[in-house]
Amino acid sequence: MRWHESILEYKRGRYLKATLVLTAAAIAVYAWHEPPGHVKPNGGTWLGYTLGTIAALLIVWLMLLGLRKRRYRSSAGSLQGWTSAHIYLGTSLIVLASLHCGFEFGWNVHTLAYMLMLIVIVSGFFGVYAYLRYPELMTANMGAESLDTILPKIAELDRKCVQLALDLPDEINAIVAKSTRSGPRENTKPGRPRWRLPGSGQRYTARDAVKAISRVGAKFKGEQAVQNGKLLAEMTRKSVLVDQVRRDMRLRAKLRGWLFVHIPLSFALLAALTAHIVSEFFFW
Amino acid sequence: MILVTYITAGARGQVQREQRRLMGTSFSVGRGTKAQVQLPDGRVKLDHAHILVADTGVTIVADAGEIKAKGKTVKVAALVPGEDVEVGPYLLHVESAPSGLDLALTVTLAKPRISRSRKALLQVFLSLPRLSKRRLSYLLFFTIIIAFLVLPSLPDLEKKMTLPMDGKQRGMMQEMSTLLGGGFSQTWKPGPLSPSHQLFGDSCRTCHQIPFVPVRDAACLDCHKTLKDHVERWKLSGSRGLAFLETRCTECHSEHNGLPIAPRAQERCADCHRDIKSVALQARSENASDFRTGHPQFRLSLLDADHPDVLKRVRQGKPTPPDMVEHSNLKFNHALHLNPAGLRDPEGRRDASGMHDSQGNRTVLKCASCHTPEENGRFMAPVSMEKHCRQCHSLAFEPAVTKRQVPHGNEELVATTLREFYARLALGDTPPDINPPSDMSRVRPGAVLTYEDRQRVLKLAQQKADRVLNELYETRGVCVTCHTVQRIDSAAGWRVAPVKIAKTWLPHAMFRHADHATQSCTSCHDVRDSKRAEDIAMPSINRCRECHVGAQPQLDKVTSECALCHSFHSGHEAWQGAPKGQKRAEAK
Repeated sequence: MRWHESILEYKRGRYLKATLVLTAAAIAVYAWHEPPGHVKPNGGTWLGYTLGTIAALLIVWLMLLGLRKRRYRSSAGSLQGWTSAHIYLGTSLIVLASLHCGFEFGWNVHTLAYMLMLIVIVSGFFGVYAYLRYPELMTANMGAESLDTILPKIAELDRKCVQLALDLPDEINAIVAKSTRSGPRENTKPGRPRWRLPGSGQRYTARDAVKAISRVGAKFKGEQAVQNGKLLAEMTRKSVLVDQVRRDMRLRAKLRGWLFVHIPLSFALLAALTAHIVSEFFFW
Repeated sequence: MILVTYITAGARGQVQREQRRLMGTSFSVGRGTKAQVQLPDGRVKLDHAHILVADTGVTIVADAGEIKAKGKTVKVAALVPGEDVEVGPYLLHVESAPSGLDLALTVTLAKPRISRSRKALLQVFLSLPRLSKRRLSYLLFFTIIIAFLVLPSLPDLEKKMTLPMDGKQRGMMQEMSTLLGGGFSQTWKPGPLSPSHQLFGDSCRTCHQIPFVPVRDAACLDCHKTLKDHVERWKLSGSRGLAFLETRCTECHSEHNGLPIAPRAQERCADCHRDIKSVALQARSENASDFRTGHPQFRLSLLDADHPDVLKRVRQGKPTPPDMVEHSNLKFNHALHLNPAGLRDPEGRRDASGMHDSQGNRTVLKCASCHTPEENGRFMAPVSMEKHCRQCHSLAFEPAVTKRQVPHGNEELVATTLREFYARLALGDTPPDINPPSDMSRVRPGAVLTYEDRQRVLKLAQQKADRVLNELYETRGVCVTCHTVQRIDSAAGWRVAPVKIAKTWLPHAMFRHADHATQSCTSCHDVRDSKRAEDIAMPSINRCRECHVGAQPQLDKVTSECALCHSFHSGHEAWQGAPKGQKRAEAK
């Protein structure tokens, strides 16, 4: 056995094969199937109902992954297997649902369910990419460090910079103050972050501070220049660490961010699917 | 000289005091190490302020920074014992100065910086809003359930609910739920309605009357009241026959495709008609599945003029079945009438109508001379003696005496006309245009007749009339040219065999002559060699197949599914032909 096996290659692509068989069979039956009465293929034929039932059950099962992954003691297949099947069978839904509806779309709850399903699946594709790519990048970025080791270092550098700036002109001091400030939430209680739109916060990065300090400090002489040099060195060290942390955060956000689309929309899909099924039979 | 006491918090929170004596009369206040009164915090300016000792008193003067006394920003503040002055985050409290000192100050950091715990730091980077996947999931789930499930079904839910409401409230509730439900149930609409049902607009419940029950036939029949059964129920047999009986409207008529709702698919017809005996054991029709590849010969409906109640259906075939004759009791020779050299025309040259080609006093007849289409475009109008025959076929009873003719179509009227005519002559009343016949005794004009005289004269007139009647029916052969006649013992004296001409041979086929106007008459009905009225000039299916193919399209051929000629719901009534405009609309 290999040391590491990607979820895509789980058991030599067992679920990839299963998915290919399933979709190929569905396509073949769809091509062979002639709806009675020469109407266009639709969800109301026996094939439509069959594909619809399979797809609906699949959606419910795919959503059960959320439960399975929390059941650490479950013996219902390995989580890796579940995830591999989740990815492949989830992808097969694109084919199954499209054949189910016979490519009929409109401004209604039925197409809403279809569109939600597509968004969920595409966000899932991003998730697969993220899980295969980002952990590697995160390791490369942080090396032996971790947030737990790096954040105290930044705090320490902050403290040093503030100290060094005390003897420097107000302009420099202001730069240091700005770069060590906790950003837009300075006046809010810790632990209660507010909603913030991307780019709306007045962000002053350590890198900005480095540039500003060296620009302002260029005209300093003597002792002041020496002091400023020390500050610049510390601020540069900080900016390197901050960049590292930011990159780590960015990767973490990307690694988990797609779930904010994938999961809530899959519940939206579940609701739309319920409405779709009930409405079909309500107005039979 | 002044005394400055710094009060700071130690590592374990204990208070530490540090005192400094400063010499001079002016002392700088700032954050730097060079400031005499050092306030080491980033929020203090490098040259924040300075303290001045003068004879008039001790003051603090703001320089680059800001100072506050009694809560107000000031430029200069007097340092009087008991006073507090804020310099940035520091609080400077003036104590009463011991002797020898100009000022005693205690300095405390009143507003320390928020300590940068790891958590606080993390928040700098993890500036994610408090977004919870779970909360978002609930929100979306229930929003969609309410908007797309609860609201659309509101009118039906409302009926089930038993809320303690009075009539007015209930009415309002109903109105509201109908309004909301009607609007939101549009989100359930899988596709546009067929053109003929678009008049229902947004009211789904016109057809979908009971929740969770498929659209019932009764809902269709609410409007479609005159639909006939496709076939009488008793004719169906076997399980397939039963299954056919239970076919619901919607199994053939599927809605919400934006297409015409009438199914054109012949597969549906062929399901049963491919093997008709499996559905109706007694069926006399033959199997049919496609016009080109599987359609029997036509079965013509034949009338018998002598037995008008009996309709005989005879299937075309080769050789022509012996009973494929028309018993119309009429004699007619198409070949003679269509003589290309023309017919003798008693009125000589006529060319006004355009229906006749005239050469000298001979008239050349064409089909359209006698056969004109009816207004609905389906049938040809009946040929009539008055319009089409009489111009040549005169009913003059004694041409040497008068141009008058007997009426057509009523034997009694013919006899009466003759008797009255000759009685009038016999009684001496001769109209000016009459050349009285020589073989009739006449009364002298002006003579007074006794009763016996009149009886004698009238009897002679009656005998003359009977003679002429016989000539008309028998010897001169006026009537027998076209009719079969028979002497009977009645006032009329003769009986003309009743005439019955087929109006349609294929009463269930939706054939329209008007749709076939591009073809010549003889291309289907070749009567140029027909010498007898018994001949039937109906085209065979092979003639139709020269232009029409089945459901499978072919180049230069008309694709013809069952429904092109047959109607499912017309029952056993002959098709009467739809107005042209309507048919076009259906075909769209």
